[in-house]
Amino acid sequence: MERKRVFITGLGVVSSIGNDTAILVESLRNLKHGFKAFPPYHPYKDDPAALVKWISAPSDFEVDSTDFEDWKYPSRYKIRREVLRGFAPHGLYTYCAMKQALEDAALEEEDISNYETGIYTSSGGSPRLLCNNMERMREIGATRCSPTGIVSAIAGTLSFNLVANFKILGNSCGFSSACASSGHALGYAYDDVSLGRQSRMFVAAGEDVNFESVIPFTGMRALSLEVDPTRASCPFDEKRNGFVCAGGGAALVLENEDEVERRGSTPYAELVGWGQSSDGHNVAISHPEGSGLIRALSNAFRSAGIEAGEVDYINAHATSTLIGDASEGKALDKIFTSQGYRPKVSSTKAITGHGLSLASALEATIVSLAMKEGFTPGSAHIQNLDPQFEKLNIIRETETTAPKLAISNSSGFGGANVTLVFRGV
Amino acid sequence: MPDQTTITREVGGAPVPGSEELLRDTLKRCSPETLTAALEYRVSGEVSLVPTIVLGIVERFLDPDVASKLQSGDDSIQFMEDLGMDSLTMIEAIMMVEEALGVSIKNDELMNLRSVGDLKEFINDKILGLSSEETKEFFPVDQVASIMPQQVPFLFLEQATLEGRSAIGRYPISGQEAFLEGHFKGNPVFPASIMLEALGQLAVFLLLKKPPQEIESAIDSSEIYFTGVDGVRCHRICKPGDVLDMKIQVKRVREPIAIFSGTITVNGEKAVVAEEITLAFKAETSPADLNGNGSDPASQVNGENGSSVHL
Repeated sequence: MERKRVFITGLGVVSSIGNDTAILVESLRNLKHGFKAFPPYHPYKDDPAALVKWISAPSDFEVDSTDFEDWKYPSRYKIRREVLRGFAPHGLYTYCAMKQALEDAALEEEDISNYETGIYTSSGGSPRLLCNNMERMREIGATRCSPTGIVSAIAGTLSFNLVANFKILGNSCGFSSACASSGHALGYAYDDVSLGRQSRMFVAAGEDVNFESVIPFTGMRALSLEVDPTRASCPFDEKRNGFVCAGGGAALVLENEDEVERRGSTPYAELVGWGQSSDGHNVAISHPEGSGLIRALSNAFRSAGIEAGEVDYINAHATSTLIGDASEGKALDKIFTSQGYRPKVSSTKAITGHGLSLASALEATIVSLAMKEGFTPGSAHIQNLDPQFEKLNIIRETETTAPKLAISNSSGFGGANVTLVFRGV
Repeated sequence: MPDQTTITREVGGAPVPGSEELLRDTLKRCSPETLTAALEYRVSGEVSLVPTIVLGIVERFLDPDVASKLQSGDDSIQFMEDLGMDSLTMIEAIMMVEEALGVSIKNDELMNLRSVGDLKEFINDKILGLSSEETKEFFPVDQVASIMPQQVPFLFLEQATLEGRSAIGRYPISGQEAFLEGHFKGNPVFPASIMLEALGQLAVFLLLKKPPQEIESAIDSSEIYFTGVDGVRCHRICKPGDVLDMKIQVKRVREPIAIFSGTITVNGEKAVVAEEITLAFKAETSPADLNGNGSDPASQVNGENGSSVHL
């Protein structure tokens, strides 16, 4: 069966380092992080050492209230009450990112709502809204809880809302594989377009970033408690000790070659294949030798029909945790260094923080922009490179040349690994 | 934007059911008059405050452009069709009404609350403890069509609500009705005769779905005929886009004749009044009865021509 080529033709983003692609690119060129101070919280108020100090939250959005009618967001988005009430905080972020992506791809209403156009989403749901609903339900009864309490809060909320609001008629599904979620969403969206099941797919991902979504990660000692923001997220540094939690939204438009030609669009990049695998090792810790990621990389190369030696940039998953970064470093050594290849490597999470279900879609957005805008993002905040990464070509500053063939890695809880392959056009 | 809720959470706590704090929080986006009325109602239980509270709650969910409709005071305004509320918004509004007035509304009751009038009346009855036996029952278009002998393109009833010996119904004039092409040339006006037909159809629906107690045997749905209409006045020209709000009331029944009064309004404005609409029907009975019945509906059908229709 003949496969279709798949192009990325529209992007939208709401993130701490930019609420549109232009600002995102500026932040990436200057490696400017978007971390904001997180206020002291009960019961550690008087114990600064135990507190998370930083989160990575989009500016110009005030979505902390559990009452959506309190929310504030940029005035360029006009959102009706009936639309807003179904959203979690990340629903709003991602809706805005979708609006940008559709406008960016110059899609007409009939391009968006037809049988050949679908959407895959990923998010972890909204622990805040879920907690609030449960609390209210217990105190004053289920029939006095918001009728949109479920659709705004459970995993899948992004799909319910975006499918309804954008009148999507094609394939739709929500992906939930933790930090690999939007990698899976992109991978399966690629398959659908490539196999001719759909001619266009949207991929939209988002995460809340608030007390209920962030602080539970301290229970597994995954978050950095550093006071200096540049130390709180420093992938590959020898002093790395956890990540900064990020929220926001990202949306991508994937179209087949026929649609690109018909509409005369100029794509950002071509998505040429993907691969996945599972560690089968631990519920929350990646395999120490990176065995799963090694297989995801090999599968991705096979899918894309490329050799490791052709890759010139790797957007690493590296979140700034001790074990995670080390595991990925071993996988990259095995696939590239040991074969004599030295593609550029960076982790943009140094400045974006770790967006969990959003991460892979945000990083796919970054790689697409790098290819079109002509830069390769550097790996910020490294003071002393951990010696175990010495063999990798980790670039510390953003370079002014575009990658030609890039990969982006993502790994999630349970040892789910996804590698996406992009080619410049 | 750092998360401020982490600071309040430890002292906030969950709302206490029935507390003034919860009431204030529930009604925080309603007009000040609404909140004042609700607080006063908590103390006095004064029923005359109910419309202010109920309408204030509904209004809070409306776009400014439709909110003015609500202020017209027309009780036939429907939440979904006229105000653009969907069923989830209805639930949100009902939750607030429940909290404000200390009543509880069941799902099946909710289904029958279609209009401002329904809601006001329902809440009033709840508060006064009138467990009205004559509960309202709403029928959407598919249920109406499944019962009626008239069918598209001659069905002029899109929904109906039955309550005791009266019924309200609705027909939106779509402009697609074929006869509008010729009535009149270049000026589509919904014929007065069809408006009377629509009232008659609502009466037929009541006869079939909830026959008045005087009728003991079941009615044959294929044997109901329009036989007469008296005291008709038309007050308003109705055109495509207008929604006919119809109301009929049983006046007298004696088999095989049932007489109704009827009115049609559009946006609360009087369009048609008919003092007497007469239908002839036949009981669904054994063949032996077929000859024994004195009336001949067919002879009375001609009476329609003699009715006093004024346009």
